[in-house]
Amino acid sequence: MNERELLDAVSKLPKSIEPPHDLWPAIETRLDRRRRAWVWVPLAAAAVLLVMLMSRGHPSTWDVTALAGRPLLGTERLVATGRLRVGDWLQTDDSSRALIAVGRIGQVEVKPASRVQLVAAQATEHRLALARGMIAAKVDAMPRLFFVDTPAGTAIDLGCAYTLETDSLGNGLLHVTSGQVEFASGSRSARVLVGTLVHIRPLLGPGTPYVEDAPAPLVTALVAFDFGDGRGSARATRTVLALARAQDAVSLWHLLQRVDVSLRGAVYDRLAALVAPPPGVTRRAAIALHPRDLEGYWSKIERIHFRTTVLRGVRDIDPRTGLAKPK
Amino acid sequence: MPDDLVARAQAGDQAAFRDLYRQHAGRVYALCLRLTGDARDAEERTQDVFVRLWDKLGSFRGESAFSSWLHRLAVNVVFNERRTTGRRERRVMPAADPGTLERPRGNPTEGLSIDLERAIAELPEGAREVFVLFDIEGYGHGEIAELTGIAEGTSKAQLFRARRLLREKLER
Repeated sequence: MNERELLDAVSKLPKSIEPPHDLWPAIETRLDRRRRAWVWVPLAAAAVLLVMLMSRGHPSTWDVTALAGRPLLGTERLVATGRLRVGDWLQTDDSSRALIAVGRIGQVEVKPASRVQLVAAQATEHRLALARGMIAAKVDAMPRLFFVDTPAGTAIDLGCAYTLETDSLGNGLLHVTSGQVEFASGSRSARVLVGTLVHIRPLLGPGTPYVEDAPAPLVTALVAFDFGDGRGSARATRTVLALARAQDAVSLWHLLQRVDVSLRGAVYDRLAALVAPPPGVTRRAAIALHPRDLEGYWSKIERIHFRTTVLRGVRDIDPRTGLAKPK
Repeated sequence: MPDDLVARAQAGDQAAFRDLYRQHAGRVYALCLRLTGDARDAEERTQDVFVRLWDKLGSFRGESAFSSWLHRLAVNVVFNERRTTGRRERRVMPAADPGTLERPRGNPTEGLSIDLERAIAELPEGAREVFVLFDIEGYGHGEIAELTGIAEGTSKAQLFRARRLLREKLER
């Protein structure tokens, strides 16, 4: 081999090599440990600083701008800009829209025919209530600082952008376009990743999240499972399992925890056939819904989903592994 | 999207930081793997790089591409660790399973790539580092001298040595 052949071979080496396993959990643990240490050592100074920031720097009212028409702020028509105080309602009609600055961490566009209330405006809790209508939220902050209450439950921001719509009863839809959101209601919650949607219903909360390009019959079966009268849930489950692709692992992971115990084995087997469980996750523990195993599986599904979504159009990612497909 | 992610991560958004990790982990791990020649060390250094990145992210001003800036940070982390521990070379396979490398399957050069990765990992430490930085990553001898603390002439000599050793290994 001469030098030219060597350099030619070097130029063909892959620029990227995936680590043999996901390193993020270990990195996150180290970051959390550092944060905790940082909080405890200079506790007194931090407390003083926090009080100063909360009393001086954090806006207790939020700016509102009319984007179209004349929204109603409290009892006044909003002409250009105004201030939303805790307890105030902002209401848009069929032809008006408004933009709310969420403290200093983001913004919410209030779409036509919507009604929102500012519930809390604190440094550690930014909370709106969406009584009806639709909002488009974009938040750049640490997770769990921004919340939107609806009649069906609460959307908890985990660093993301999303649209959320609901009628006055709580029937609605959450669609995440960046990052992820948790939607929680009572004992039920859903993890909604970028590029996925979830239906919400009063009293029942969130259904099972599904990806944007999920087959329509699969979505119909999920809705029947989540919000039907229960008599057809086994049939709906079988339909979902028959139609699910590797891209639908997000749905199957949620379904595993929601189906009757007699169906968990079938759901697990289908999920495992589409996306192999990571090392350490066993069938028995997953079916018993052991948190460690479920979280381990979720980390892999989340990683693959993220790579598939973010790298769409850039690299062809195998939805079963998250690795780039051979060219 | 990357610029938005960087900005969000700089603002303390850990979800955005995790997304940055997802985007860049492969490049960083590949660099660490080739510089250290050891899969376990590469995992540790990759973790170190992203923990360090969290601290340093505020100093990124966008004067260069983020990936280039991160790359430089990763090189510094690897060499700082080596200086700290005085760790010497380990001549092992770069990954427990060479099949985990992302590469086109069925490519006629596949076998050569695996052999080449193995041969690079088996190079003496100094020669391997210069070869990886110069021939794979595209750094100049001046930059390598600055990063590693060796003279430019030594860098050139190490590169010559590395290429000769590789040609010999691949011809066997």
